[in-house]
Amino acid sequence: MEPAIRQALRDGEQLGARYALQIPQVAASGIIGSRAGRRAGSSIDFQDYREYQPGDDLRFIDWGIYARTDRLTVKLFREEVTPHLDLILDGSRSMNLADTAKANAVAQLAALLAAAAANAQCSQAIWLSGEGFQRLPNDTLSPAAWDKIDFSSLRTPEQSYEILPPKFRRLGVRVLVSDLLWPGEPLQILRRLREGAAALFVVQLLARDDATPPEHGNLRVVDSETGAETEIYIDSSIAKQYAENLASLQQSWSDACRQCGAQMTTIIAEDLEISLKELESIQLLTPA
Amino acid sequence: MIPFLTYPLALLALATVPALAAIYILRNRFRRKQVSSLLLWRFQVQSKAGGAKVHRLQLPLIFFLELLTLLLLVIAATGPHWQLPQSQRPLIVVLDDSFSMRATKDGISAQTRAHEFLQKLFRQQPPPNTRLVLAGTEPRSLGSAVKNWREVDALLPQWKCWSPGAAIDSAITLATELGKQQANILVLTDHKPADEKISNPRLEWHAFGSPQDNFAIVNASRTVFGEQDRCLLEVANFSSGSRSTKLLVQTGSNAPQSSLITLGAHENQRLVFNIASSAPSLHAVLEKDSLAEDNEVQLLPPIRKHVRVQVALTNENSSTLVSRTLDATGLRAAISDNPELVIHETDAVTSSNSWSLRWSGEGATNAYTGPFILDNSHPLAAGVALEGIVWAAASATNSPGDVPVILAGNVPLLTVREDVSGRRHLTLNFNPALSTLQNTPDLPIIFWNILQWRIAEMPGLKESNARLGAEVTLKTTDEAVTITQPDGEKKFFPKTGGELALETPVPGIYSVAMGAVTNQFSVNAIAADESDLSANLTSQWGKWSEDTQRRLEEASAIWIFGLLAAALLATHLYLVTKSKGSS
Repeated sequence: MEPAIRQALRDGEQLGARYALQIPQVAASGIIGSRAGRRAGSSIDFQDYREYQPGDDLRFIDWGIYARTDRLTVKLFREEVTPHLDLILDGSRSMNLADTAKANAVAQLAALLAAAAANAQCSQAIWLSGEGFQRLPNDTLSPAAWDKIDFSSLRTPEQSYEILPPKFRRLGVRVLVSDLLWPGEPLQILRRLREGAAALFVVQLLARDDATPPEHGNLRVVDSETGAETEIYIDSSIAKQYAENLASLQQSWSDACRQCGAQMTTIIAEDLEISLKELESIQLLTPA
Repeated sequence: MIPFLTYPLALLALATVPALAAIYILRNRFRRKQVSSLLLWRFQVQSKAGGAKVHRLQLPLIFFLELLTLLLLVIAATGPHWQLPQSQRPLIVVLDDSFSMRATKDGISAQTRAHEFLQKLFRQQPPPNTRLVLAGTEPRSLGSAVKNWREVDALLPQWKCWSPGAAIDSAITLATELGKQQANILVLTDHKPADEKISNPRLEWHAFGSPQDNFAIVNASRTVFGEQDRCLLEVANFSSGSRSTKLLVQTGSNAPQSSLITLGAHENQRLVFNIASSAPSLHAVLEKDSLAEDNEVQLLPPIRKHVRVQVALTNENSSTLVSRTLDATGLRAAISDNPELVIHETDAVTSSNSWSLRWSGEGATNAYTGPFILDNSHPLAAGVALEGIVWAAASATNSPGDVPVILAGNVPLLTVREDVSGRRHLTLNFNPALSTLQNTPDLPIIFWNILQWRIAEMPGLKESNARLGAEVTLKTTDEAVTITQPDGEKKFFPKTGGELALETPVPGIYSVAMGAVTNQFSVNAIAADESDLSANLTSQWGKWSEDTQRRLEEASAIWIFGLLAAALLATHLYLVTKSKGSS
């Protein structure tokens, strides 16, 4: 792994110390953990009483109520769970666009979210698209221990999903970090990602070169993933069309997110630190 | 095709075009740039589903603006002209300046009628600009082009009609050159053109003369005739029938003598008579007729010049021979003080302005019978025949600087040398004892030539009577010369050395003051062709064609190309500013 990426992971972890992942109520489920779940569980925090149902644990029958009322009543305690973050990183080559801070920003953002999740007592899984979705080695440890973050895949996340879908934990918080620059219908992959998730956040991470059209002049643009080339003369009208295409793409993703109940925001890689407010605004992060 | 090689500036400007192209090619070459995806560049991708491929122009609009501006500047540097239509052509008026234009009918001269016609033409159809060309013996342009009648009228006093002839064809040629074959040419004269069918569509020939009877003195001279002067008067009758006129001749203050002359149609009569050389002037006048200018002549006494010759020969025979020969010429002055020619045998010291004739060959025994070689272009050889003579001379060779005039083989017999002060030194290689030259007219001819040459080099007028328009030669000293014309006009020539050729624009007595000496010469209006008014008439030949009323005139178009270039540059600036503003 490149030293710059590792350094970005450290920086992101340091930055994420100031934030905590904002866990939606619906996401308060998971394996037994230290965080109160939304269901009754085996913690010591009393939650409610209800009538005994066959199969209930006999240990939670309140025998005092049975003595007084001759009715079997079980005590319900708040469940203590560990929320989970599934961080899905786009591992395609476009995320490591030359002469941009995109790759570093992905690593930094991933580390930040992981740190924020840790602050929120969340477990985490970091998925990287490639030939299928693979978890990063040591992704359960602190970001500095992650390994094999490599943005060299020729496949889009959608294609990776077809090959080997990630094994998300149910009711986890899922965050997709990608530039979303691939053709196809966004709704399809979003539905898949949203399925079984407590919440889905889509963070579109763009380099400034992606967001703003280049300077005027003749350009031979090369697709970082396919290697395809095209020659274009950039003028004001072309720049305008580029901006319209980008806006149209973002709009289609935004519409798809709205349909799936996902939240979407766009961050410029070079302006990552000042863009964190966007993550707060979609209630992904909250100051720790 | 624009001749760029003749316009170095244009060539330089043209060199900037490839420079500009190079700049743009380098600047606009495709820069390679990696992008995340071509998804956002889909608008550039050609549709594969039919339709023609449309390639976007790779160079920006400002390149073409700059290129066009450069090309406009290149064209401007070549000094382009275009032809603009002009409503009227300029006018060049050829004015007959001969004195036949002074002939009057009913008291009005052809010149006056032509003047009135020109004024009327300016009132009705004023040309944009006008030039006047005087057709005298030689054509002469009167100043530069003028714009209106007032300016034309100010030039017309120079049209005096005193020339003895009118070179109208030459004047038309000059007018055509001045007008660059674009101007209308108007000829104002008193006679018809040589070819009455005028093919030039830009030439109009107007004659204002009238056929009239006229007596004229067509020849007059007064020459030396011994102690007297011989006068010749030739009177011509330019009438269609026999007519008579009265000739009055007055010499000095004597009473005029009248004689009746009757001549048939186009007949001449010569009157030759002698008068005393002391008579100051001869005034001959014919009766008044339609052309007064050719009825009168004044003849001044011819110029008699003699050479003071000092014969310094020691040989008595030779001295006697030379003296007799000199006397035979009639050009030797009575006195020999302050001599103008010294004849000697040795290199004697001569006075400051005298020529010398060295008589060598005394005792020579070589007798030459010819053939003799003469430089016939030399004034000393004029009329010399040397046929059948014996010329004894020393067999000397030519001295350096001496120009041989007569030679016998390679032996110079008569040579001439000019010293730094302009005096001429002659050498006559001649032994009369063994020669027969002195028995022939050739020796006095040679001496006459010598004296005549010497006279010709003396300061002063060469002739006292001249025809109108002829040049009168004045041999000058270092002193200033003042010429007073008959019309009172004076011309001053400060310190002229050599010769002056004096113009004679008007008839009458001219006064020439050179230092303390004042001489006169007479100029008479004598020209038979001008005096013959029988063929004069009033008519018009030729007509400016209608299509010449509109013409194309070349005008500089540099300003147009400059203006277009400026407009393009302004557009360029606007586009650049707008582009920067939008980006």
